[in-house]
Amino acid sequence: MRRRFVVALVLMLGAIASLAQVQPTDTKYMISLHTGYAHNLTYGSYATFDLDAYVPIHQHFDMQANLRTSTANSHSLGVQLRPKFALPVGELYIEDRLMMRFVACDEFNEFLHAISLGYMMEYVNVQVGVYTRVIQPLPYIPRSEDELICEPFDVLYRVEAFVRPRTSPWNISLALSNVDNYQVERMWQPMFYLGGWYDINEHWRVRMSGKLKLAGMFHLNAHYYASELRVGAEYRF
Amino acid sequence: MKKNIQIYLGSLLSVFSIILTACGPDARLDMAGMFAGSSPKIDDRFTESQVYNNQHGFCTLQAPAEDYHVYVCTDTHITKTQKRWINFIETYRQDMLCPVAVHLGDIIDAQNHFDEMYSAYQSVPMNPAKSDTLMAIAGNHDIYFKQWPQFIELFKTCTYYFIVRTPSGAQDLFICYDSADGTVGSKQLQWLTQTLQWADTQGFRHIVACTHTHFFKRDYSQGHTSNYTTEETFALLNLFAKHGVEMLWSGHDHAREVTKVKGMTCIVVDSMKDGDKNPFYMLVTMGKSISYEFIPVD
Repeated sequence: MRRRFVVALVLMLGAIASLAQVQPTDTKYMISLHTGYAHNLTYGSYATFDLDAYVPIHQHFDMQANLRTSTANSHSLGVQLRPKFALPVGELYIEDRLMMRFVACDEFNEFLHAISLGYMMEYVNVQVGVYTRVIQPLPYIPRSEDELICEPFDVLYRVEAFVRPRTSPWNISLALSNVDNYQVERMWQPMFYLGGWYDINEHWRVRMSGKLKLAGMFHLNAHYYASELRVGAEYRF
Repeated sequence: MKKNIQIYLGSLLSVFSIILTACGPDARLDMAGMFAGSSPKIDDRFTESQVYNNQHGFCTLQAPAEDYHVYVCTDTHITKTQKRWINFIETYRQDMLCPVAVHLGDIIDAQNHFDEMYSAYQSVPMNPAKSDTLMAIAGNHDIYFKQWPQFIELFKTCTYYFIVRTPSGAQDLFICYDSADGTVGSKQLQWLTQTLQWADTQGFRHIVACTHTHFFKRDYSQGHTSNYTTEETFALLNLFAKHGVEMLWSGHDHAREVTKVKGMTCIVVDSMKDGDKNPFYMLVTMGKSISYEFIPVD
């Protein structure tokens, strides 16, 4: 019953998202391409390729799509819908995230739906929410003994600090989160990010970021698990 | 959902209280381990286990009958009391159909309790009518506060397999591996792959994998227990499924959970810690098929 409810909720929110009206806006569209070197204890070394698009639908509503493919044969596709509201200081936003990850190398799919509330300020971005994960073993045979595995309720969070105001032509940020554009880890599996950008001109921005994922922090036996270095460029129309 | 939120808030409070009570000489939790574990890392622990395995080989046990029993417990978290631990030992030693018992880790709760655990083990009279074998795997609590040397001194190895042979010659394979760091590491993953490839050629009747860390996070039964990373979760499950593992036994979560995935049954066994509510061990009957039941300890 609970699983049906979750699936219905995911479908309903997807439908709402697809019906969102495109409004004239003066915020810039953006497309970005990144490539990265990644390593983890399971796959070893592999390369990642990311294509992201940012679509400002309305001054109070934007959307982002993220696609990742990797030489580890694990791929993800995500959509984020973000109603936002300017406050006297900073901006409050709600993020509705749908994500699919196709872990073809290990014959699993996972589907995630997350809702979070965020507060973006000049130097700090804080986001907290909840998500549901449904794991589908492959090949999946409906009504067989194998189950769709539902992890019904977990928490996502992101705390990010910038060394300069967000509107600066260059910046460096440090973040702690269990979520990025291409994966959502369980709550007790935080990831650390260090990133920065530099605006070459009005249209082009280059970005570089690093990620560190430890295993077992809440086993109290922390151990290196994964790292990633990404570089790429954004084009703003 | 409301219940989930309550459980979640409760677990958050429990984490904060744990952090606040984790200091001092009687500290239960090695909080520095959040950023750097104090025992050797998984690859080093695996190497130590392999040194023992290479010198002594792997164990083959004789089952008393075609259908025999395996007693499985986990998370005894032994401190100054060992009531349920003693109860478990007495029970499996009296069962003439049981050639082996398995402890899935978190044998002790914190520093300096291996002695109490071992004294309690020795205090239970051996059953002269049968052999007595207890297999164990380290849990995260067993290696806090640099306790790995004590664990390995007592149990000798933490990554190994053993075989149980029935009177008719059928053989069941039990693979035990170390997940006390929340990862199996790269070397141990390679060993698991090679061992399972070897197992493919041996015609085992059943294959069972045993470890401490559980695979899924389907509820907030214990709140702050962490799992493998998602990548490792999928990789391990796929590896086990491809090589005919029928059951995965784990603990760590302190609450029972049975999940069917890729033809395997993943079982999280209840905690057997003194003071915990609903302590159970698992009694497994290995026959033509594998059946299991959960038995209350008290």
